[in-house]
Order: sequence, then structure tokens, then C-alpha cells
Amino acid sequence: MVRARTAPGHMSSTNALIEVRDLRRSFDQDAVQALRGVSFTVAQGEFVSVMGPSGSGKTTLLNILGALDTRFEGAVTIDSVELRHLPDPERFRSRTIGFVFQSFHLLPALTALENVQMPMFERRWRASERKTRAAALLKSVGLEHRLDHRPAKLSGGERQRVAIARSLANEPKLLLADEPTGNLDSSSALKILEVLGAIHQQRNMTMIVVTHDCDVAAATNRTLRLRDGQLLEKQIAPGA
Amino acid sequence: MSFFQLILKNLLRRRSRSLLTLGGIAIGIAAVVSLSGIACGFERSWANVYKARGTDLVVTKSVTRSTMPGPFPFALKTELQKMPHVREVGALLSDVFSIEDSPTILVIGWEPKTSLWNHVKLVSGKWPEDSSKGTVALGTLNAEMLGKTLGDKVQIESGEYTVCGIFSSSALAESGAIVMPLPAMQSLSNKEGMVNFFDIWLEPNTSAEETEQLRRSIKAKFDGLTAFNPGSVAENNIAMQIAKAMTWAVSSIALVVGAIGVMNTILMSVFERLHEIGILLAIGWRRWRIMQMILAESLLLSFVGGLAGCGLGVVAARLLQMSPWVHGKLEADVGLPLLGIALLIAIALGALGGLYPAWIGSRMSPATALRQ
Repeated sequence: MVRARTAPGHMSSTNALIEVRDLRRSFDQDAVQALRGVSFTVAQGEFVSVMGPSGSGKTTLLNILGALDTRFEGAVTIDSVELRHLPDPERFRSRTIGFVFQSFHLLPALTALENVQMPMFERRWRASERKTRAAALLKSVGLEHRLDHRPAKLSGGERQRVAIARSLANEPKLLLADEPTGNLDSSSALKILEVLGAIHQQRNMTMIVVTHDCDVAAATNRTLRLRDGQLLEKQIAPGA
Repeated sequence: MSFFQLILKNLLRRRSRSLLTLGGIAIGIAAVVSLSGIACGFERSWANVYKARGTDLVVTKSVTRSTMPGPFPFALKTELQKMPHVREVGALLSDVFSIEDSPTILVIGWEPKTSLWNHVKLVSGKWPEDSSKGTVALGTLNAEMLGKTLGDKVQIESGEYTVCGIFSSSALAESGAIVMPLPAMQSLSNKEGMVNFFDIWLEPNTSAEETEQLRRSIKAKFDGLTAFNPGSVAENNIAMQIAKAMTWAVSSIALVVGAIGVMNTILMSVFERLHEIGILLAIGWRRWRIMQMILAESLLLSFVGGLAGCGLGVVAARLLQMSPWVHGKLEADVGLPLLGIALLIAIALGALGGLYPAWIGSRMSPATALRQ
């Protein structure tokens, strides 16, 4: 089920989970400027899409928000943690971020149940607890009948649902999805959209989805539009 | 799924490669176990000789160029006999000879009417007569190896000897040897009036300090000779030192090959899995856990290889022991301490071989790895 779209700028700085100020990131000794002074805030529980043409800086932005890239200029704060030069980004990712990738990025040798358990190794849960939690997560995305299947035996849509279940493994505060429907047919894409919508509604989870798909963007609360490394409109809520 | 199951799964994904690496480690460890077992057995075999004789001190040449200590005059016995706390001195001359179709066999000449003859038990026949140069006694294992019994002839160098007795000894080195009176041995080896060992028995109640003082006195008084306690026989036997050195040389080569094999396997497995390692980092695995996973794979591989190597080494040592060159001279001493050391070496190999790949894997950038 997909939530209705709400007006942007509804949040205040007091409940902002993400605060981005004058974010700049360049590569090849400043020859390529991927992000040029991006600023926005995202409230706790908000479902935001990021759209823009190829090369506009969407993936760079997502990598920075996911603490996969901490060498940037400006300020990025997520859940009161400043990400610039974060000393232990893996620990932060493990506790705060869930990732969903366009290419699923499941481990081919492991079953669906085992794939979902992988992030849980960073928590002090016993093997039996990890297994129970993973099974429950797979059930929540409608894959209770596919627990022991390896990725090669699953359809594209099923693989993405396994990846979504995995992203929720450590109960993150923020879910980042990079083109989650990009490799799927329309029917599978719709199913993924329903799953993401249901997660957002049930868990009140903050979600940011990078997409080219207008249907996906329409299902979110707000859309950030990027072009040439800059946001097209001001995205900071009044009073922030 | 436990962490161990994950490690096991990773190794089983490339069964052939894991098995080949495991085989490489097993061979390296088997070389360590079997060769060290033989070397330890060699050492123990000689230590048992002195233990069986009840010898308190052994006097021999301090520098020697051959596996057997060089000869020195029998006449020195008179002076040794006069030293404090000395109860008895027995002279020996020993050497190795190729006898008939058998490889080298130890031949010992014992001084007649000394305690040297007391610790061995005559099984059949009689001891060679003191004045006789034509008779010998064979150890039970030697008689079995040569296929000789009482009355048979034994060709040693150019001389022919009649087997007059067969004896048993608790020391394997003696059990596989030929014994004759000292004069006969001096004649056989063209070393008239010479010996290469004096075994010394001390008076009862001689303290350890007095024994040590006597040992030093002998060393100081007789130029070119040394005295040592039977327990330190390995340090004073050139053959044992050579055997030990060769053991460690061969084992080291085998171990280096094993370590390179482990590193190669784990490194290949890391490079093949860069993308997967990137995924693990992206979903929140910390770098030390990546390191832990890769090191654990390496350690598990080495541990199992080490266990297989220990088993293989025990079998190899037994086979070596039965070979004609070794049979009757020593028995492999493959005890739990040696197996424990071998297993520790295997684990150390795994740690060494896995460290670099683990470091490589843990240092990578997840964003870069995900793009691959």
C-alpha cells in the first residue's frame, strides 16, 4: 500500500533526522563536481524521493547519506551524528542505515534466510534469534515460502524483497534505496513499491529513494530534484 | 547461521581449491611430524643406551669430523679411574659398517669384565670370549635383520665372524647392533689401543654438584676430550645435530611452501569476493569483522590441514621406521607434545598466510567494491 503524497516542508528542525548543509563533493582533484552546495532536511518518518538525470549527483548523495563516502565538504548530520570524516562509518551504518540497491547485491552462496541474517552479525544476537528475526522479516515481505532459496532461484522482484528484508535486519532509523525498481518489470516494481510503502506506514521509518520512476516518486511524501549537482528548489523547512 | 557456518560455507564454495591447499598444509605438517619424530627417536634411542647402562658420565672427543667420535688412547683410563667419586670406567670403541647386503649397522666393542656387559640379557648362546677375535653377539633385532642365528657366519669388512650369542637390550640402538670384545673391535677397525668412549659409573651418593665438578675436571685435565651427562647426549652427538638440522631445514621448506599456499588461496578468494566484501561493508559489517572472517577461513583451513598432516605424519614416520635404512636403528618418537607443536605451527601458518589477505579485504572502500 502506498501512502498519499504530502506537502513538502512540513517538518521542523526539531524532528529532523537528516540535516544537509552546503554539501559539496568533487572527484579527480575538483575536475568533476558531483555535488555543489546541496542543502536540505528530512524529518523523522518522512518518505523522500530523489530524482534527476544521470550524472546529476544522486548516487553520490546517497553514498554520502549512507556513510559510504565521508570525504566531502559541508555538513551532513543524521540522527545527531556528523558524518564528515566519521571515524567508524561501518558501526554507524550498522546501527542507523538500511541499504537497498538496484542490483540487489545479495550474496549468491547464501539462502534468502542467511542473506537477511548477515547484517545481524554486528548485533549481539544469538544464532537462533538471528534466524527467527530473519524469518519474520522475510514473512513481512511475503517470502516465507522462499527462506531456503538462493538468489539464483528467485525472481528479480523476490530478490529485491529479500534485499529489503535484509535492509531492515538491524532495525535502522533510515532506509536508503538506490533505484529499487530499476531492474524490475512493472508488476514486480509495483509490488516493491507496495512493500516499501507498507514498511514506511507500519514502522514510521524515514526513507530516501533515488529513482527515475515517476510512479515511485509519486508514492513518496516529497521529491528532491537534482541537476548538475544542485537541488532545483530550496528544501529546508521554514524555521530550520 | 553461526559465524562458523559462514566460514565453512565460504571455504566449501571452492572445494577443489580448499582441498588442494589443505593437502599442501597437510604435507608440510606431515614432513615436520615424521622427520621430527625420527630425529626425536634417534635422540631417545641413544639416550636409552646410556640409561640402560646406568652410566653417570660419558667421556668422548670434543671435536669430531665424522658421525662417530674420533679415537683416543685406552691408556687414559688409568688416570680417569683415579679421579674422585669414580667407581668404574668402561671403555668402548664403536663404528658403523656395511654388513653383507644390509645398510650400515652399528658395531660396538666393549671392554671385557666391565659393567658394560651387565645391562644386556643373553637370549641364547654365550658371550664372545675376551681373547677371541672370531666371535660376535648379535642384538635380537640385528639377528632378525641379517637373518642370522647361532653358529652362522657374519662378514664384517674383510673378516668373517661366527655368531656365538644373541642378546636383548631395552635400547633399540643396541638391539640392532653387533657386539664384540674391545680388542676384537680395535683389530677390526685398525685402531689398536684406541677407544672412542669411556662410560663412567660414580660412587653411590655422589651429588649432582660433585658430578658436575668432576665433569669440568675431566674436561680441563684431558685436552681434546669432553665429559657429558647422558641426558645431554644430543648436544654432544654430531650425527644427532646433523639429523636435527636436516629435519628443520626440510620442515622449514615444507612449511614455507604451505604458508605460501594458504596465502595464495585466501588472497584469491578475497580478490574473487571483493564485491561481496563491499556488500558486507555497505550493510554495516565492521572492518575488523571482515578481517576476522578472512583470518578465520585461513585458520580453519590450516587447522584441518594440520590435523590431517599430524595423521599423515604418524603414518609416514611408521613407514620410515620400517625402511631398511632406519629399521633396527631407531624408532620414531611421535608423542603428543610433537603433535601439539605441529598443530600450533599449522595454526601459525594460517595466521601468517591469512593476515595479508585479511588486511587487503578490510581496507577496501565499499563504494568502490559495489561498483565492480
